[in-house]
Amino acid sequence: MSKELRVNSKYIDQTTRIPFKFNGKTFYGFKGDTLASALLSNNVHLVGRSFKYHRPRGIMTCGSEEPNAIVQVSNDPSLTEPNVRATEIELYEGLEANSQNCWPSVNFDIGGINNFLSPFLPAGFYYKTFMWPASFWEKYEFFIRHSAGLGKAPTKPDPDIYDHQYAHCDVLVIGGGISGVIAAKLSAEKKLDTILLDDKKDLGGVSIYNNDDNFKINDQNVSKWLSNEIENLKKYPNLSIKTRTSLAAFHGYNYLLAKENLTDHLNVNDRKDKIRQRLWKIRAKKVVIATGAIERPLIFNNNDRPGILLSSSIKKYIDYYGVKCGTKISIFTSNDSAYETVLSLYKNGVKVNSIIDIRDKSESLIVKKVQDIGIKIYWKHTVVNTKGYKRINSIELMKLNEKGTGVIGDKINESCDCLGISGGWTPMVHLFTQSGGKLEFNRIDNMFIPNENKSSSEQISVGSCNGDLELDDIIKKTNLKTKEFLDINTSIFDSLKIQSSKEKNKKNIWLLPSDKPLGKTKPFLDFQNDSTAKDVKLALREGFKSIEHVKRYTTTGMGTDQGKLSNMHALGIIADTTGTNMGELGTTTFRPPFTPLTFGAIVGRNVGQFFDHTRYSAMHNWHETNGAKFENVGQWKRPWYYPKNKESMHEAVQRESKAARDSAGILDASTLGKIDIQGTDASEFLNRVYTNAWSKLQIGKCRYGLMLNEDGMVYDDGVTTRLGENHYIMTTTTGGAANVLNKLEDYLQTEWPELDVYLTTVTDHFSTISICGPNSKKIVNKMIPDLDLSDQNFPHMSFKNSSINGVRCRVMRISFTGEHSYEINIQSNYAKNVWEMSMEAGKEYNITPYGTETMHLLRAEKGFIITGQDTDGTLTPVDLQMDWIVSKKKYDFIGKRSLYRSDTIREDRKQLVGLITDDPNEVLEEGSQIVEDLNKKPIEMLGHVTSSYFSPNLNKSIALAVVVSGKNLKGKKLFVPMENKNINVTITDTVFYDKENKRLNA
Amino acid sequence: MLNFETPIQEKKSYNDLTISEVEPIIKINLRSRKREFSAKIGKILSIIPPVESNMSSINDNYSLLWLSPDEWLLYSNNKINKYEEQINLEDKLFNQISKLNQGAVTNVTDHWVMINLNGNKIYDLLSKGCPFNFNDFMSKKGSVAQTIVNHTDVILHNIDKGNLNLFVRRSFSKHLWSWINDSARFI
Amino acid sequence: MFVINCPFCGERDQSEFSSGGEAHIIRPKQPTELSDDQWAEYLFMRKNIKGVQFERWNHAHGCRKWFNMIRDTSNDKIHAIYKMGEKPPIV
Repeated sequence: MSKELRVNSKYIDQTTRIPFKFNGKTFYGFKGDTLASALLSNNVHLVGRSFKYHRPRGIMTCGSEEPNAIVQVSNDPSLTEPNVRATEIELYEGLEANSQNCWPSVNFDIGGINNFLSPFLPAGFYYKTFMWPASFWEKYEFFIRHSAGLGKAPTKPDPDIYDHQYAHCDVLVIGGGISGVIAAKLSAEKKLDTILLDDKKDLGGVSIYNNDDNFKINDQNVSKWLSNEIENLKKYPNLSIKTRTSLAAFHGYNYLLAKENLTDHLNVNDRKDKIRQRLWKIRAKKVVIATGAIERPLIFNNNDRPGILLSSSIKKYIDYYGVKCGTKISIFTSNDSAYETVLSLYKNGVKVNSIIDIRDKSESLIVKKVQDIGIKIYWKHTVVNTKGYKRINSIELMKLNEKGTGVIGDKINESCDCLGISGGWTPMVHLFTQSGGKLEFNRIDNMFIPNENKSSSEQISVGSCNGDLELDDIIKKTNLKTKEFLDINTSIFDSLKIQSSKEKNKKNIWLLPSDKPLGKTKPFLDFQNDSTAKDVKLALREGFKSIEHVKRYTTTGMGTDQGKLSNMHALGIIADTTGTNMGELGTTTFRPPFTPLTFGAIVGRNVGQFFDHTRYSAMHNWHETNGAKFENVGQWKRPWYYPKNKESMHEAVQRESKAARDSAGILDASTLGKIDIQGTDASEFLNRVYTNAWSKLQIGKCRYGLMLNEDGMVYDDGVTTRLGENHYIMTTTTGGAANVLNKLEDYLQTEWPELDVYLTTVTDHFSTISICGPNSKKIVNKMIPDLDLSDQNFPHMSFKNSSINGVRCRVMRISFTGEHSYEINIQSNYAKNVWEMSMEAGKEYNITPYGTETMHLLRAEKGFIITGQDTDGTLTPVDLQMDWIVSKKKYDFIGKRSLYRSDTIREDRKQLVGLITDDPNEVLEEGSQIVEDLNKKPIEMLGHVTSSYFSPNLNKSIALAVVVSGKNLKGKKLFVPMENKNINVTITDTVFYDKENKRLNA
Repeated sequence: MLNFETPIQEKKSYNDLTISEVEPIIKINLRSRKREFSAKIGKILSIIPPVESNMSSINDNYSLLWLSPDEWLLYSNNKINKYEEQINLEDKLFNQISKLNQGAVTNVTDHWVMINLNGNKIYDLLSKGCPFNFNDFMSKKGSVAQTIVNHTDVILHNIDKGNLNLFVRRSFSKHLWSWINDSARFI
Repeated sequence: MFVINCPFCGERDQSEFSSGGEAHIIRPKQPTELSDDQWAEYLFMRKNIKGVQFERWNHAHGCRKWFNMIRDTSNDKIHAIYKMGEKPPIV
């Protein structure tokens, strides 16, 4: 640290020195410094290069609006973070920061050549240049990609922990400056649940370091009064204060997102196992926005050199951080607030060289004080140029003409190492507009302020974000507005004695005139994206009218700072150039987030194992122990196949499929949806939701049902069993379970409330063990010897209540494989034991557990569809060649009318067919296209393969497909064109195996 | 008898927070729109289904939770010793309600897993993944909420401030259990 | 994210609900007697207006009950919520 640049400050800990690295070099700062203040105290102004022209750029502000001083933090490939504002990084031990957008170094940057090419790089340069010739695009792309983007993304996963938390409160106060503190106190006094947020480490905003004797509250310095108020806030149990918490988004219904930084300020070694950032999801009954205002720059030639800072930032650096931004400082202003900076500097031993003020005069209290000190003020002057490549070393000023449209007289040269600029104030209305609020233009102070008459949500803006810039206005209006908003009669702030300075003379020039034509100057508007006033004017000349278009064409306001500094000037220059009123051509939309959010904060803990739910069946541990590979089906983990002795998936599936048909297979079918249906109208209800008839189904019998949407397309399928007169159990597909229940509830509640039917899901209550194959009967008999399994007593498509070792179970004789098979449904907490018993009982029959892949293969051999695989919401039962399941007699069921719409009765719809390949060993790829004429151009796609397997039981490849008019094309030869070959296929029946269903009763 | 195996079988303690699976508990879903239903249930269980939304009725043996205007969840306050207890209760209710067309009785004992959360910080813990406003709920004895915790449907039964039973579907329970444990580290 | 006042459970976060599209479209009692055009009118045609709209909502992760909502789609303001089968209030 340079001793000459440090003065005493009570706001930071000047006894604790902290080392840090910037661009590889070690520096020191104090605890409480930001990276920016620490760098400035080391006399480092040059911190980065601009995006387009690679011009040297320095720290310009002290807050979230910083456009230039954005750095890459940390060299660790998993922790490195680009585009962090040096003004917001609290100094910590182990901090490593580097400049961005420069190569090989910030001091010598090759890209700087762009600055000299700048006459050839006007707005829209990239759009205009890289359009043609099209064939060159690949070459351009390399160049553009190389020059695009700021900073470097981490290359390894983020090891940090992020968290989310919902909060509900009566009042949320955003911003802990003087207005926020007043509002929060009023709310807390009223006993309302209150949350107060501030993005800094301490509350107090800019007033906390206001020790200027010209401003007093109850005869105390503002700083002292406010410190006391903040101290008093701690006594309210109903007030929760969150610092280092920045509001990111203000959504409808007062739903707000705020990011709390929990470890970024800690020494690197103290961060382990702690949450780095927490995203608060806040639902507030009422919101008080007290986000303050930020100072505007002034727009003049070469206004971007390192050493040029916002005047209010110079004030914060000296008053709060105890850092002088320079030793020869000049101030260039359009308003009174810069004079506060002059007084602060003077108090700390820096007498400002000169003040350049565009106004004719100012008669306020503080200006008088400055004049009394004897500082030279150039009234009605403007800076026309600055000099110094990596740090400003002098300014040139000239007198403004009467109207302020040009300059006159001689050029005056002033040397300086720092220039403070102040172009007035911009209220932070971002959050107000994010919530849907509309703005109005205040012509006196040239700023947009909230128009609260046009806001629909429960919120107010107080303090300078509401356009109140003078201390007494801020306090009085905050008090009044908050009282009215929270329905408070009298307040402790009603009778404060406030002493303030009032600005009486106002003047604003969006683009300051120069002695040179605009084309020869560089008045920067958007410092990060290097767009100048010239670019905006060019865009207007080229016909862009809407502000949104100008913004995109010139990239003004599109940097990481989202134009916090540049937007107002862009609007002003557009208004002046086009002769329209401010905002007449639109204002830009402020979209969330207010400041960039990390991806970590957005996703919170929803990463890794918590990315999505995982559902497990009761037998999951068994599957795992026995080497199952799992497939994700919906959120379920289902056994896919069970490889033995390093089998490949194909080998395992072939073995499992064979075993299921030759002897016995066992499947965990617990994931199927199960809905318990009760009520006197249960049969009628099923009649209405399924395509087939249900009234005559006997108790104890099962039936397969197909469910359609009202548009006639197949929606879901499954077996439903009649357990009693008015009692059924319906099964649905695994993926469709929740949707089917919702859909059925919907019909019951809204279309057929007269039906006496109740639905209750029991998917998780019962686990289902399916045992199939010619030996399944013997196995089930061993397990449940009391149950008569004879075909007479227990035929296919029937069910029996039974019990295993005293625990009730429901056994269904139903089959999805075409084999003789049983499904045992038992309470889930006993299911793993029953599964183990089945394995034990089936041992002598080589009972083979099989997964979803084998299940799919076996059912495909039988031509059974899987909804969602063979269907895609565009197929009717007729398209599936399942006409047999559509009742002709029923008057109505869901989707019936749609089955004979002109479109659904077309003969040339895609229909489900079987496919066999000429080469029996050639297995088609699911999803591949089917064509008839390979020479026709464009090739006509007739359909696609929906399911395809090599069948070990048929010893050939089989497939299901949907093909235009497929029903009538049996025997037709078609092609499946692949990348390297055309596969010859023939259309067949959909049933490949045991067409007579003999095996069901084998 | 068959081996009985619930999915979690754990109890964990953190700062100011204890979480545990409480099983076996009988759980029976009741649905009805019939006028006589309430009196019938009262007769069988000596407990009246609550009419007030988001509330429960509790006696020595059972808690009866409001789920919707025509749906309630009944659960036993104490762990059961024998499998038959649930079957007997299911049959008794089924025979007198379902069989007589007074509504629907469905045994959901193994559909839900009951997790007890105990301690002052349990609402903060749930709020990490739950948009529900616990401000009034927490101090109300017997209040009920069906909501989502970490994207999973749950039923919350607030026995008393700092003592809450959470019901989650069995297949989701392991996942939610790990999430709760993960979140509890940061309370 | 709205706050929706479920007519059965009270105020809850929107994430507990699912939307079911336009309200007061009654399923025809005699679908078989309708022409293709009449059936298509029921099946496909929705107003989808910018402004005050009648909608169906379901408290999917709560009591699972369906209800109606009058909502201004231009600013998401909910004007009224009423149960299934009830007449829409005048807003």
